[in-house]
Amino acid sequence: MNFNQLVLNSPRRLALPISMSPGLALTGAKVSDIVTNSQAQLDAQAALQQRYQSPFVLGAMDLSVEAEAFGCTIAVSDSEVPTVTGRLITNQEQADKLAVPQPGDRRTGVYLEAVRLLRQLPGQPFVFAGCIGPFSLAARLVGVSEAMELTIAEPELMHTLLEKCTDFLTNYLKAFRAAGAHGVIMAEPAAGLLSPRGLSAYSSVYVKRLAAEASDEALSIVLHNCGAKLLHLPAILETGLKAYHFGAPMDIVGALGKVAPDVILCGNLDPAGVFVQSPPAETTAKTAQLLAATAGHRNFVISSGCDLPPNAPLASLDAFYAAVKTANQ
Amino acid sequence: MADLNQLHDAVLNGDAKTAKAVTEQALAAGHEPLKLVQDHMMPAMSEVGRRFECNEYFVPELLLAARAMKGSLELLRPLLAAKGNEPVGRVALGTVKGDLHDIGKNLVGAMLEGGGYEVIDLGVNVTPEQFIAAIKDKKANIVAISALLTTTMPAMKTTIDALKAAGVRDQVKIIVGGAPITQTFADEIGADGFSESAAGAVSAARKVCLA
Ligand code: B12
Repeated sequence: MNFNQLVLNSPRRLALPISMSPGLALTGAKVSDIVTNSQAQLDAQAALQQRYQSPFVLGAMDLSVEAEAFGCTIAVSDSEVPTVTGRLITNQEQADKLAVPQPGDRRTGVYLEAVRLLRQLPGQPFVFAGCIGPFSLAARLVGVSEAMELTIAEPELMHTLLEKCTDFLTNYLKAFRAAGAHGVIMAEPAAGLLSPRGLSAYSSVYVKRLAAEASDEALSIVLHNCGAKLLHLPAILETGLKAYHFGAPMDIVGALGKVAPDVILCGNLDPAGVFVQSPPAETTAKTAQLLAATAGHRNFVISSGCDLPPNAPLASLDAFYAAVKTANQ
Repeated sequence: MADLNQLHDAVLNGDAKTAKAVTEQALAAGHEPLKLVQDHMMPAMSEVGRRFECNEYFVPELLLAARAMKGSLELLRPLLAAKGNEPVGRVALGTVKGDLHDIGKNLVGAMLEGGGYEVIDLGVNVTPEQFIAAIKDKKANIVAISALLTTTMPAMKTTIDALKAAGVRDQVKIIVGGAPITQTFADEIGADGFSESAAGAVSAARKVCLA
């Protein structure tokens, strides 16, 4: 069963928070373990799954791993997901010469292996891999702030990088499928900062292409964009995908009114505001509010608007799941 | 003869080459540097800010406009200083220690420069000591701090406390911002001003200086 069938056929409302870090509170592992060790990912997801009986498990969201495979240097810390430092590409010549890595290179192997391990969990949960989207990957190679300007100042440089990023991601997705993933959550956060026109030209075109090559009935792609607003929606839908995941800036009820009933939308509780800065009672209230606002939309799956920060307390996630449970009673 | 409307439009359209060329022509034709800034560049940046607020402009357009303005300002700044034209204020701007997000900070810096402030951009991952040095050595009278992570928000308070300990807190007004920052948080840590937008940063800076 693909993701859309699973959601649309579900008798109850489903929840898909993007959470790995809260699992660490249960296993005692560090963030640095998660991003280097597939077993640590399995343990954290197994612990979360046992606690919440979720039909979904996820590989970690690490938006440095693909850029590192291309040759970017990263800064690692115990408590944060690694982050890319400096710029790998600063001009067209470097972009032309850039070699496309293979799935399995550097730490991408950890994420492929994590999927294999997650498939062995009891109860046969739906296994999501996580990866970055083409524009966000290109942006990490050239510098995120710089990429913004380059979309207007040097389109050719950006398109050269995007071609290579799309080639890599197509193969990476195929490798995830071969490893047993049922779906991939592809994060395209940097694209949310572009104009709708920019998003269309620098993200949607490439996502559409790689989905056509790498996705089929057996692999569902959920496109995540945590910065997009409602005015970006038409440009995002140009990808032709069947499932999307949005962040807090999206008017989710408005978006539900604009997509076909068989297109799944997930989102969009603010990860910092709702899961870190609010006490659990408020997390429950905000979760219940969003569920009430989206009642009747079978194509909506409640989620955090983005990856939960490492300092999100487990109590917040408890409160979130409790609210979903109440709504289902 | 320089067409000064072109300067306005070049900044608005993020065309750094034209902005610089027109500035050079205007200076050669004897135009007042201060007038170029006040009558043409500042209105352009304020229009950029307006367009950003109402989703006509996005981050790329705003960053390019900022670059165009900066190119002209580089030509004008030494002339302004030579004529004794003081900036409205001097802002030490930075993203707090531990935090590497700089897009929001850069937009704030651009809008402040467009509002007539001199901006001392300390970059990202800025230590309290760097802010203190900018106050002491560069005579900043406003400190603007950005944070995007819940884990780095506390470093804003640490920074303000360090300013107090160094005895420079009373020489400056402090404004803070960044996606997770709220007015309540700004009040709690003892900041003087807050804004959730880049254009609002200019009003916030004006307001705290009048207070
Ligand atoms: C781009 C981005 C990055 C880029 C940053 C590139 C760069 N050069 O800045 C990269 C990829 C490097 C990055 C890294 C990380 N990021 Co990040 N990132 C984002 C993203 C997508 C956009 C942020 C942005 O630029 N927004 C656009 C600007 C214009 O908005 P803004 O910064 O809020 O600024 C506006 C206002 O707030 C205000 N303002 C800002 N500063 C100030 C200052 C003053 C004085 C005033 C008055 C106003 C003001 O004016 C601005 C203009 O309107 C957000 C998610 C999202 N969609 O928002 C996540 C996000 C901020 N990142 C997040 C995280 C967790 C991380 C990482 C830890 C993840 C990782 N390990 O990869 C690292 C941290 C690295 C570090 N130590 O800093 C989280 C933060 C969660 C939290 N609140 O704790 C977010 C929210 C994503 C999420 N998971 O939900 N990130």
